[in-house]
Amino acid sequence: MSPDPRQLSIRATDVTVDYEVRGDAKGGLRARLVDRSASRTTLVHAVRGVTFDVREGEAVGLIGFNGSGKSTLLSALAGVLPVTSGEVLVAEEPRLMGVGAALLSQASGYRNIRLGCLALGMTADEADDRVDELVEFTGLGEAIHRPLNTYSSGMRARVHFVLATAITPKILLIDEALAVGDRRFRATSRQRIEEIISGAGTLLMVNHSLPELRTYCERALWLDEGLIRLDGPIDEVIEAYSAEG
Amino acid sequence: METPDIAAGLRPLDISTSSRAYLEAMWRRRDFAVAMPAESVRARHQNTFLGNVWHLVNPLLTVAVYLIVFGGLLGVNRGIPNYLLWLTTGVFAYRLTSNCVLGGATSISANLGLMRAVRFPRALLPVSVVIGEVMTFTFELGAVALVALGTGEGISRRWLALPLVLVVHSMLNLGGAFIAARLNDSYRDMQQIIPFVFRLLQFLSGVMYPIERYLNTSHAWLHRLIVWNPIVRILDLYRWVFLGTPINPMETLQSILLCAAILVIGFRFFVAAEYRYGRQ
Repeated sequence: MSPDPRQLSIRATDVTVDYEVRGDAKGGLRARLVDRSASRTTLVHAVRGVTFDVREGEAVGLIGFNGSGKSTLLSALAGVLPVTSGEVLVAEEPRLMGVGAALLSQASGYRNIRLGCLALGMTADEADDRVDELVEFTGLGEAIHRPLNTYSSGMRARVHFVLATAITPKILLIDEALAVGDRRFRATSRQRIEEIISGAGTLLMVNHSLPELRTYCERALWLDEGLIRLDGPIDEVIEAYSAEG
Repeated sequence: METPDIAAGLRPLDISTSSRAYLEAMWRRRDFAVAMPAESVRARHQNTFLGNVWHLVNPLLTVAVYLIVFGGLLGVNRGIPNYLLWLTTGVFAYRLTSNCVLGGATSISANLGLMRAVRFPRALLPVSVVIGEVMTFTFELGAVALVALGTGEGISRRWLALPLVLVVHSMLNLGGAFIAARLNDSYRDMQQIIPFVFRLLQFLSGVMYPIERYLNTSHAWLHRLIVWNPIVRILDLYRWVFLGTPINPMETLQSILLCAAILVIGFRFFVAAEYRYGRQ
């Protein structure tokens, strides 16, 4: 096997991610003051030491059961969640697209897109130049001027997708986000993602639909309780995973 | 098997360890820091009939309350020419500090959605709170100027110093916003405590009466708290601008240095926990 000449875009070395869950009080105030271990926060060891490289132009699917650490790993690679130990090296700023978050829920989709562009580092002029085209891409029509908290999850996903790809990312991380879109949105977003990958971009994707994952990715990582169970060509990994499931 | 240079283009994800890279990333997003407060102002007053007018009416009503209690009832206005303007200046300027710090405290928890969607230097959130407060404060200064003219003070050349006073004041406010933001992210209870801290500070900052009158307190710590309270000196500066009350150049210089120190300390304190923000 000859060495792959492609440059790396992500190198994760022994990455662990713990996060705190709040509000899960084990006892009352007295217990919290007396016994520190009964504190209000519970530590979750979501990712427990994973190492892998991803190259330019590679599309990698993350599979695993619920709670296996897939989303946490993506957030850590995106830099929105801190790694507890280990190291993440990247070639470019990764862009994460998730579903859960509403940006500014009282502001309209239009304002959210413009503000998101500014947060990404565009100047006001650049954002104004781009916003109409991005709004067009969402296909939301008049609804783009309604507040975000009136949107369905599919409509919100469109706004998120547009923001994640507004500045063509070299590294795109997609967390289940396409699953909530309708067929037309999936077709347009698919086209955009393929453009990104073919331009030496990198895709990491969490998706519970294995057939869909197979259409995007040639490689898969199987995460099991925060550890990599298997890393290889997608067909092999899916086969092993399905045998378990 | 691996050629050694395939990892050549890689860099660490974390930029908060380099102040320079961090500040550059902030500067690149300066338009965001200005657009952000406009959105929150819009959201805050969406459902009130008078909307942004409340920004002015609220402090003016506060002035009226203090005028009745401290001027009318307690008579602390003895020896202060133009107490109405003296009080108005103090109330508006003090409110700017408390709004900035309280807004800074909630700036992280109020923007979790945005933080999860887009990565940007989190220090921009407290910064945008302070920018928003300064923008509304400039309108409020207009109201103070009207009170000055209405009470016969006349336009003065000292007014030209207002931008400089506001810069010094903003250093203090931003430093306070940074500190409150980090503390409130670790301990959500802070949000409940901060209003009481500011209520106490208000009495120790000479907002409604000249605090120097009470300097001969028998409690040494209270005395120290008053002498070192940078807000006292900031209010002095505003009163010098509008009323021409004398200021001590040495004390002024000290307070400028103190405000700058609070800003630097606050910024470092905030950025040191950069990656913890919004991870719940």
